[in-house]
Amino acid sequence: MSNESGDRTRSDEFSFFQDQRVRSGFYQVLAVAVVGWLVWYLISNTAHNLEARGMSTGFDFMQVSAGFDIEFKLLEYAPGVGTYADVFKIGVLNTLLISFFAIILSTVLGFFIGVLRLSNNWLVSKVSLAFVEVFRNVPLLIQIVFWYIGVFSLMPAVKKTLDLSFGAERLLLNNRGLYMAWPVPAEGFWMTVLAFGVAIVAALLIRHRALKRQAASGEQSNVLLLSLALLIILPLSVFFATGSPLAWDIPVLEGFNFVGGATVAPAFLALLASLSIYHAAQIAEAVRAGILSVNVGQGEAAKSIGLKPGRVMSLVVIPQAMPSIVPPLISNWMNLVKNSSLAIAVGYPDIVSLFMQTSLNQVGHAVEIVGLTMVFYMLVSLIISALLNIYNKRVQLVER
Amino acid sequence: MKFKSTLLTTTAVAVSFLSGVGVASADSTLETVKDRGLLRCQVGPPSPGYYNLDSDGDWYGLDVSICRSVAAAIFGDADKLEIQSVSSQARFTALANGDSDLLSRTATWTMSRDTQLGLDFLQPNFYDGQGFTVRKDSGITSAMELKGAKVCVTSGTTTELNLTDFSRQNSLKISNVTFDDYNVRDDTYLNGGCDAVTGDKSSMAGNISSFPVPEEHMILPETLSKEPLAPAVRHGDNQWADIVRWAVYALINAEELGVTQANVDEMRDSSKDPNILRMLGAEGNLHEGLGLDKDWAYNIIKSEGNYGEIYERYMGGGEQGLGIDRAGTLNALWKDGGLMYAPPMR
Amino acid sequence: MAIVTLEKTTARPAPLSETTALGWLRINLFSSVFNTVLTVISLYVVYLTVSSVFTWGYLDATFIADNRRECYKNSLTGACWAGIINWFNNMFYGRYPDAETWGVNSAAVILILWMAPLWMSRVRGKILIAVSVVVFYPFLAGYLFAGGAKSLLMNIMVTGAIVAFALNLLNTLAGLFTDTSIKEALIKVLGQSTAAEGTQRKVLFALLVLCFAVVFTLQSNWLVTEVSWTRWGGLFLTFVISGIAMALSLPLGIVLALGRRSELPAVRVLSTGFIEIFRSVPLITVLFMATTMFPLFMPDGFFLNNLVQVIIAVTLFNACYMAEIVRAGLQAIPKGQFEGAHTIGLGYWGTMGLIIMPQALKHMIPNIVGNLIGLLKDTTLVSIIGLFDVLGMLRSISKDVPWLGLHKEPLVFGGLLFFVICFSMSKYSRHLEFKLSAGSRR
Repeated sequence: MSNESGDRTRSDEFSFFQDQRVRSGFYQVLAVAVVGWLVWYLISNTAHNLEARGMSTGFDFMQVSAGFDIEFKLLEYAPGVGTYADVFKIGVLNTLLISFFAIILSTVLGFFIGVLRLSNNWLVSKVSLAFVEVFRNVPLLIQIVFWYIGVFSLMPAVKKTLDLSFGAERLLLNNRGLYMAWPVPAEGFWMTVLAFGVAIVAALLIRHRALKRQAASGEQSNVLLLSLALLIILPLSVFFATGSPLAWDIPVLEGFNFVGGATVAPAFLALLASLSIYHAAQIAEAVRAGILSVNVGQGEAAKSIGLKPGRVMSLVVIPQAMPSIVPPLISNWMNLVKNSSLAIAVGYPDIVSLFMQTSLNQVGHAVEIVGLTMVFYMLVSLIISALLNIYNKRVQLVER
Repeated sequence: MKFKSTLLTTTAVAVSFLSGVGVASADSTLETVKDRGLLRCQVGPPSPGYYNLDSDGDWYGLDVSICRSVAAAIFGDADKLEIQSVSSQARFTALANGDSDLLSRTATWTMSRDTQLGLDFLQPNFYDGQGFTVRKDSGITSAMELKGAKVCVTSGTTTELNLTDFSRQNSLKISNVTFDDYNVRDDTYLNGGCDAVTGDKSSMAGNISSFPVPEEHMILPETLSKEPLAPAVRHGDNQWADIVRWAVYALINAEELGVTQANVDEMRDSSKDPNILRMLGAEGNLHEGLGLDKDWAYNIIKSEGNYGEIYERYMGGGEQGLGIDRAGTLNALWKDGGLMYAPPMR
Repeated sequence: MAIVTLEKTTARPAPLSETTALGWLRINLFSSVFNTVLTVISLYVVYLTVSSVFTWGYLDATFIADNRRECYKNSLTGACWAGIINWFNNMFYGRYPDAETWGVNSAAVILILWMAPLWMSRVRGKILIAVSVVVFYPFLAGYLFAGGAKSLLMNIMVTGAIVAFALNLLNTLAGLFTDTSIKEALIKVLGQSTAAEGTQRKVLFALLVLCFAVVFTLQSNWLVTEVSWTRWGGLFLTFVISGIAMALSLPLGIVLALGRRSELPAVRVLSTGFIEIFRSVPLITVLFMATTMFPLFMPDGFFLNNLVQVIIAVTLFNACYMAEIVRAGLQAIPKGQFEGAHTIGLGYWGTMGLIIMPQALKHMIPNIVGNLIGLLKDTTLVSIIGLFDVLGMLRSISKDVPWLGLHKEPLVFGGLLFFVICFSMSKYSRHLEFKLSAGSRR
């Protein structure tokens, strides 16, 4: 005891620094101070440099009208009228559009190939292996250009347009894009939409009741057919009862190009194909690894209680594989959104192409434009990674 | 104790970092370049005719010759040069922030660039204009017939803007497809993805010559825009601007006076034309105003030749040339009806 | 009536399906209708791809020509490989002067020779080898690449590298032939094996100093022609950028990962913020920021060349990915390991450095190789901001007047090149994964 108290007196002069709280507090203050100073230092330098070089700053340019045209846009825009803010919005929407479709396609394709990799058909598993290895190991930029030049540019020319709807001229394909007849709702179409909504609610209710019954009595009932019938018949009958209030905007060859309907540009198709395939190859690997990580006994046990192979996968193996599939899957989605920034290579007007390239070249303001673009990507990624974190929290193994 | 020393070290490091990053005073550009012993001249990603790499990895082209001329004028050695290849988004910032001493890269001289970006554009070394390329069998003979057409264009320049302006003026409803790289643009056009290509006429002439069957394509007569392509320097250093400006003038004057790479020695020694003697430094003291040696112009001609020779080599029929005729264009000498006109050297 | 045979039943041959090619086909390709359909579709896809690629790339292709026009004269639709052949050197060395490429080559050979012993089981002292590579090799390689006059530090480090490399070679030979380390072999040769350990050490140290002094004087006259970084390019530059970025981002990533798992809230928030910000933006915007805006962030007169800016940007970007890999590796370590380390009285750094990191790093190796593949592919983006890496070089072919517009063939070539490099790395990573998981397989 005496010894211990003696030690304490001796170390009195240091005790302040040896206090755990003081130390951790000090380190934290130090970290914040260093980072804060660095940020301040960079900002003050930038401000000084911008001023010294006579470069104007601020976001006023966003209200200036942009003089260039945009080929593919989801918003109303006319050159000379639309502002750079509109250009920004169009770019954002275009990036989100391509990312959305590519995420869906790559996930479906990735799961498909991942399962095929484990197929017992030798050729199929080898072809899917080749698919994965080829598309994983070649830089995406090269792939995008390949799909554009090597595939979609080689589609027939306008005058030899392919009619995919067998003579009905509703779905046309040529090297300027995919042209589709597009429905234009007339007055009274809202009733059909309403009927469809009602059908969905009803189908969900039926399913809910069937599940409840299965849980209570163990009886399975097939509700698929009933729901499908409901979903198709109800809206259709309302549609015809209200007098088919829907017109079709049909693409027609006018001068150089088809006009009317909805068009998907070859650049979009090429980008969609390359992004989906590149990421599907990565996702396939994650899926394969996930399935392999599930103990073989699980599948064997499921088979032994008489489940069919398909149900073994969907009810036993995949649910257990999901915790190890989802994190790489979601980080793939994140990368996909970021990789869509390579769109400029084939002329798809995404945010980088419209805003960081064309707009930047017109108005300068590099700091503001690059900053805004980065903020956009950050927001998207943060939302996706928040999804991942929520999922991780839910499935994380609970340790002591 | 250990903790205290950590604290001391951290402070010491922070202080030394603060003081270490000192602010260097801005000398005149000529001084900086001479001290460095190297001219940093900015070009873009390779672009045929103006600046591109050969299979030995050396730069060549019309704009590269301007870089080399300035280096030759300052050092007497055109190889004391660092060519910087900078993307189009970064080009003006890289000049403004002092990374580059000189920008010589098909930059169009426009009012907004000249007045708002802190730059000074100097004597243009090429006059270009935007035009359209179409297939001959399309039957189009004038740009006014492009109503509703799809036109391929490269981004990163004023080309898109000019195209939209042209379409609006004449209510043609042209839709543009924008690319990053003109190879992809040209392939799209060749495969029929576009009805026409738009770009600077000079570079399009070069591109057509690389098509599988060049005879099937033609450039329409209309010119959409004025594109004076000029070297640029930072605003505010007049001596430096003078050096670059007069380097270009020396090339033009040399052509006018008949001084070539081959005869420049002979001209300096035995010419009777005082204009030539003054230019090549055999007479007078013109070099003093620029702060260069008296044989600055001689060094330029000796290493690069005159403007006509450079044009022939890279734009005309030379082995590395794009094969664009000069006669009758804006790039001919003023005596031949062009715009290449330099103030007298006296 | 006994149902007994007195003859011994001879073993029947294996069923045909197990021994003949036809049987193999039946089992593996046509076992069911669905499988047969899959097989036929796969075969058709393979046929279509292979035949069109073969026609374009070989049957109709031109291999010898002086310019693109000559290729066209040969065939309008086939590939023009002549341009690639003409530019072959550039794709590997960029604009590096032809006379000096031996420097790049020998740096590559030295690296391989230096690192190879790490994979040989009979060689001793692997940790020392790894440390010597990290400490000395960058200086030697840097000098071989850049050349010029050497500073005092450079002189010392180059000498150190030469000595270390020579010792490493001898050590490898000693290991391969006598199964001993260089130290033991030398002692034996010198006849000192019975002397006291202190004496042994002194003798060895004296030898080392002597070697160092001799090499120092010899190499001080050695001068490599100076090559400016602007002439670096091609695959060489791709490797330099991704190599340096990889080497730097690992330690930085470890620091960030530890920061993210730290118990100090401020440190955690800062590290997390840094990681998430860099991970959430495309590399191209970071590169752009680095080259365009970096000079704006710095005081007047502060100059960093483009290459350094790019390397910093790529390193920071990759460090954040590395941090996540390290974090995942740390998460895989059971809590008991931390507790055990605390029990024996280790502090934070002791726990991490001696117990946790060595285990975690082993788990992370496959992921790190995967990251390296990604980094190598991502490095191609530097071509967009004006560096002539391998993709930048490939794109320049189409701008060179004799080969104007030739851009598909270079892309295909680049794709193949990357495939070969990345595929072999991913094969290796699979092999590692397999080897490392050997302990936990049943």
